[in-house]
Amino acid sequence: MKKCSKLSILIFVFLFFSILYPLILMLSKVEWSNFGLLISSNAFKESLFNSVFVSTISTIISVLVAYFLAFSLNRAYIEHKAVLKTLLTLPMLIPSISHGLGLINLFGANGIISKSFGFNIIGEVGIIIGSFLYSFPVAFLMLDDGFHYIDNKMYDVAHVLGFNKWQTFKKVTFCYLKKPILSSIFAVFTLVFTDYGVPLSVGGKFITLPVFLYKEVIGLLDFSKGTMIGLFLLIPAFISFLFDNFSRDYSSGDFEGNDYKLGNNKLRDRICTIFVYVVLIFVCIILGSFVYYAFIDNVVVNKVVSLKHFDYVFTDGISKYIFNSLLIAIAVSIVGTIISYLIAYVTCRIKKIGSKVIHLLTIVSLAIPGIVLGLSYTISFNSSFIYNTFIILILVNIIHFMASPYLMAYNALQKVNPNYEVVAKTCNIPIYKIVIDVIVPCTKKTIREMFSYFFVNSMVTISAVTFLFNTSTMPLSLMINKYEGNLMLGEAAIVSLFILLFNLIVKGIVYYINRVEHRRSENREINVSSI
Amino acid sequence: MVNLEIKNLTKRYRDKVVLNDISFDVKDGEFLSILGPSGCGKTTLLKILIGIEKCNEGVILKNNKNITNIDSSKRGMGIVFQNYALFPNMTVLDNVMYALNLKIKNKDKARKESLRILELVNMEEHIDKYPHELSGGQQQRVAIARTLTLNPDIILFDEPMSALDADNRLKLRKELKNIQKKFKTTMIYITHDQEEAFSLSDRVMVMNNGNIEQIDIPNVIFNHPKNEYVKNFVANHLIEKVSSIEKCTGIDL
Repeated sequence: MKKCSKLSILIFVFLFFSILYPLILMLSKVEWSNFGLLISSNAFKESLFNSVFVSTISTIISVLVAYFLAFSLNRAYIEHKAVLKTLLTLPMLIPSISHGLGLINLFGANGIISKSFGFNIIGEVGIIIGSFLYSFPVAFLMLDDGFHYIDNKMYDVAHVLGFNKWQTFKKVTFCYLKKPILSSIFAVFTLVFTDYGVPLSVGGKFITLPVFLYKEVIGLLDFSKGTMIGLFLLIPAFISFLFDNFSRDYSSGDFEGNDYKLGNNKLRDRICTIFVYVVLIFVCIILGSFVYYAFIDNVVVNKVVSLKHFDYVFTDGISKYIFNSLLIAIAVSIVGTIISYLIAYVTCRIKKIGSKVIHLLTIVSLAIPGIVLGLSYTISFNSSFIYNTFIILILVNIIHFMASPYLMAYNALQKVNPNYEVVAKTCNIPIYKIVIDVIVPCTKKTIREMFSYFFVNSMVTISAVTFLFNTSTMPLSLMINKYEGNLMLGEAAIVSLFILLFNLIVKGIVYYINRVEHRRSENREINVSSI
Repeated sequence: MVNLEIKNLTKRYRDKVVLNDISFDVKDGEFLSILGPSGCGKTTLLKILIGIEKCNEGVILKNNKNITNIDSSKRGMGIVFQNYALFPNMTVLDNVMYALNLKIKNKDKARKESLRILELVNMEEHIDKYPHELSGGQQQRVAIARTLTLNPDIILFDEPMSALDADNRLKLRKELKNIQKKFKTTMIYITHDQEEAFSLSDRVMVMNNGNIEQIDIPNVIFNHPKNEYVKNFVANHLIEKVSSIEKCTGIDL
């Protein structure tokens, strides 16, 4: 028992120094006297307005599209639903800046499509489309999940009560989806509001708040001003955090969805199929443009297949950056999974005094945008030994992405029989043994998911690491930024493809292991029942 | 010989008294049921006996040795939970062998001993199955076997049958009785089901609001309830039974 409280203290110290301390230090170094000057400046007002504008429009589009995608895949006959669902989440496997890049490839000044029509979408339109592309899968996954938790018996009840379609939607579907819809609105808005990858690449002269912050810090090294701008980025994230925590629907987690009886409606099926494929084609042409740009010598003047861009990136030392990224991603996945699992174990199953505080501290990291977290790390740790090393990049990523895997572990551990530890105690089995031998195996699927979440996000992130890398620790994703800045779109496309490739490999491995395991248990069941 | 002696046990959560100065004893090899409605303090009592919760006042003596503040693992007690808490990723044999392996560190010996006990509870045919492949009754037998391997002096049961249907309960009661006859282990059985308590036990302890209302052999409790509460608690049960028989048969009893 004493050991457990020691562990809690250790965790608290870790969270304090990796979350609270940098934030407090960052705020303490701000020259508040300049605050009035900043918020009355035209540059600030304009970028704030721009941010709110593009975030609002992108959120509306993303959530609407995501809703109809989730609806189509849950309430219509469409073939290969599982494959379609996987393909629709592909945009999550590349950095946000790559979506901007894809748009430039297609609709930029020299874009494949726009060139022949003589227009381009650089500016707010580009940001909105790019933000939509990389944020809709998040909303889609949330809403798809929402559809799974609708108690479909309610439709029978509605039918018996003689509700018409609109009443049924209002009283049943919307009732269940209200929470996921609101959550996804908050999540998407926060995501777009704090992202600078897309606006940096396709924004042109249209400056949003994160880009403003980025330019102040990277270009002018004005950390104080950067911090003050960062505070504004915290606002929507914080509201979203509060909303999620005060309206968490604890009951739905245990509910097992029953099958929805699909009625015959050819028109609905056709419209839904077309809709899903249109979105999918849009996603695919963005990804396809990378392949095109990567293998074509020069898309404007010399449209022949060539490996010129590959030669260039390899002589430019891409292997080293691949190594850096893989090192960071694998370290983050392993250490991050262990830490967040351990924290979840302490808060979920030991439940000592202080576990509430630890729980809150862990999920509060959801409310800190990567760019703000990165900035706070630069300010707080620039004289420590971890600065300029891989350690700080690994640490910042773990903290940045920890909340979701932590909640996955928490939910999984909550479902594990609460009495194992008591059995262990009476049988004189040490708790760590029961955790390793029983509780970890019971939650291994979740652990794999946590691992792949950490991996994918560490591969695609640019926000948290952007102020923290140096030439020898630079991760792959930041190469896109560099190449794109030099108008080397082919090279930037190759980097995006590499990131996609590694993420697909990890996702593929996880999928494969899950399937093998599923098959094995199915085979066993057949064998047992035949005995 | 008195096996277990509980003296003046009191447990409070903040201002709420959950166990109010209770004292009783359990004899060697006895089957004692602790009977009461939910919230009467019986589960708290179990937690204190097993050592995962501490009491505010009172002592627990086992064979005249004070075990009140001794670690759960050194009390020589086993526990069987309502949901059995079998390890789902291990086979029946592994479940039973797991703790023994750690204790005696001789795999062969642990295996032999586990197989012996599994045979005694009639589970020798199922040693390679996983818990989810077993029926509720079989799971219970495995859970009992798991505690028996460590050779405890006392086994505590936390409402082990409340998740089963009526048919299975009846069957399991018989099995449990058989197992107890075979091993002669002292058993303390927590339940809110009067029928279970009366049919299984050597003695029944009726609890209410953190107090012991009566502790005696089933016959005495049935025929000579000590107070209104026990009378109502037992009588209500009887009335329910009678009226359900009346309903089924149409005979006015």
